[in-house]
This record gives sequence, C-alpha cells and structure tokens, in this order.
Amino acid sequence: MTSAETYEYLLPLESLVVSGIQIGTKIKTKHMEPYIYRVRPDGLFIIDTRKTDERVRIAAKFMATFPPSSIAVVSFRLYGQTPVAKFCEVTGCVPILGRFPPGAFTNPLCPSYMEPQLVMVTDPAADEQAIGEASKIGLPVIALCDTDNVVENIDLVIPTNNKGRKALAMVYWLLARQVLRERGAISTDGNLSVPVEDFETKLTESKEET
Amino acid sequence: MSELKVPTCIWCGKTIIPTEYFVKFPCPNCGGVTITRCERCRKFGRPYKCPKCGFVGP
Repeated sequence: MTSAETYEYLLPLESLVVSGIQIGTKIKTKHMEPYIYRVRPDGLFIIDTRKTDERVRIAAKFMATFPPSSIAVVSFRLYGQTPVAKFCEVTGCVPILGRFPPGAFTNPLCPSYMEPQLVMVTDPAADEQAIGEASKIGLPVIALCDTDNVVENIDLVIPTNNKGRKALAMVYWLLARQVLRERGAISTDGNLSVPVEDFETKLTESKEET
Repeated sequence: MSELKVPTCIWCGKTIIPTEYFVKFPCPNCGGVTITRCERCRKFGRPYKCPKCGFVGP
C-alpha cells in the first residue's frame, strides 16, 4: 500500500473533488461507516475519495471478467440515466433505465426478460426491485452507495455520491475507462474518446411564460 | 463414485441448503477464489474476506 502522498488516483484529486463524488448526506448507516472520512460542520458526511478510487479499480476488474452483454446496469434515478446509457454504449453492457419491469430477471414470460450474470445498480434504495430479483436468482450485485444506503444483498460497494449529476457522470466515466483498460481495449494509460461532459445529464431551461 | 461438495458460507461457515438464495462469484480483487455468501449474511451486509488476497467486502 502506498502512502497518501504517493497514491496515484485515476484522475487528479482536484477533478474528483470538483465533481463532488466525496459529498455524502447528513445520514450515516453503520454499513457505510468504514468509507466515511469526516463530518463537515454543517453535518454532511464526507466519503473517503481514496476508497472510492480503490473500489472503482476493483469493480472494473470484476466487471471485466464477465462478457459485456451479460452485465445489466440499472438506474431508476433520473440523473443516473444518461451516465448509464453512455457507460453501456462505451462498454457494451445492457442498460435498464427508468422503472425496472418486475420479473425482468425472474419471470421468463416477461417481455423484458433477460439472464444477466452481473447486476450493477446506481442507488440501492431506488433500485430495490432489481436487487431483490438479483438476490433471488443468485446474481452478484455491484452498487454505488452513498452514506445513507443500507448494504443489503449487495456484494461490492462503490462508496460515492450517487445523487449528484456531475458525481454520477464522473463515477461512470471512470468506471467505463477502467473497464476498457482491464479488458485491454485501450492501453493502461489510455483515455476514453468520450469526455466526462457527455456522461452528464443536460439540464434544459424551461421557457418563462410572458 | 464422485463426491458431492456442499457449499458453505465464507463468513459464517454454515452449510447452504439448495433452496436458499445464496450467491457465488469469483473474488472481485484477485478472481482466484470463489466466494459463496449465504442468504442471511447477504441480507445483513456481513463482510466477507478473500482467503487468497485478503480483500474484504462488500
């Protein structure tokens, strides 16, 4: 293990901090306690960025061992849908955006039935249906967990802010790049052709009525 | 005669019965060891440790 000064992050620490991946919530669960670095004076728990970085590397290594078409990436959360769609476009995984159709993993008569080997969820609280079905058929689950999440039926936690628009884009971009590096699709210091901004959900301003 | 191996949970060591919702996957870090977690350990978020590389999850 390298010391804090010499540890090499996947991206410079400033870029990670600007995207806000370390910002947690005002609620802390005992499952997420090991990943918390400190508490801000306003009560927000701050996630340890180094642990996020380490877990992104491990998750990418794990995902690279499965065929891309057998990985389902789920996001009910609106801000997670564009990053997931882009992530799946880059890595070849299967996206499930919006409402998770019940029976998609367990009922062969369901029109959206699929048989993945690995499931990744954006928020364990919002994607509860997907986690429940994955646990019934014995699929390993990777989850992006914030400080207020309960690690129930989850096999690999990536501690990060799973509510922010920029944070989700950053995490999925890092993960996509690392998965491609592990697969050998790009070199170990190579970069994605898609910038982080493309992973972000764009905000559209509504026109004010005169 | 071939032997039948009964899976056991890597954390609590209990024998996993076939009707249980257990999970089996290679170690996320090294991939050298197959990790088996029983339904209860998964539900309560109990940790698991890879005997080869020492990785502690979830």
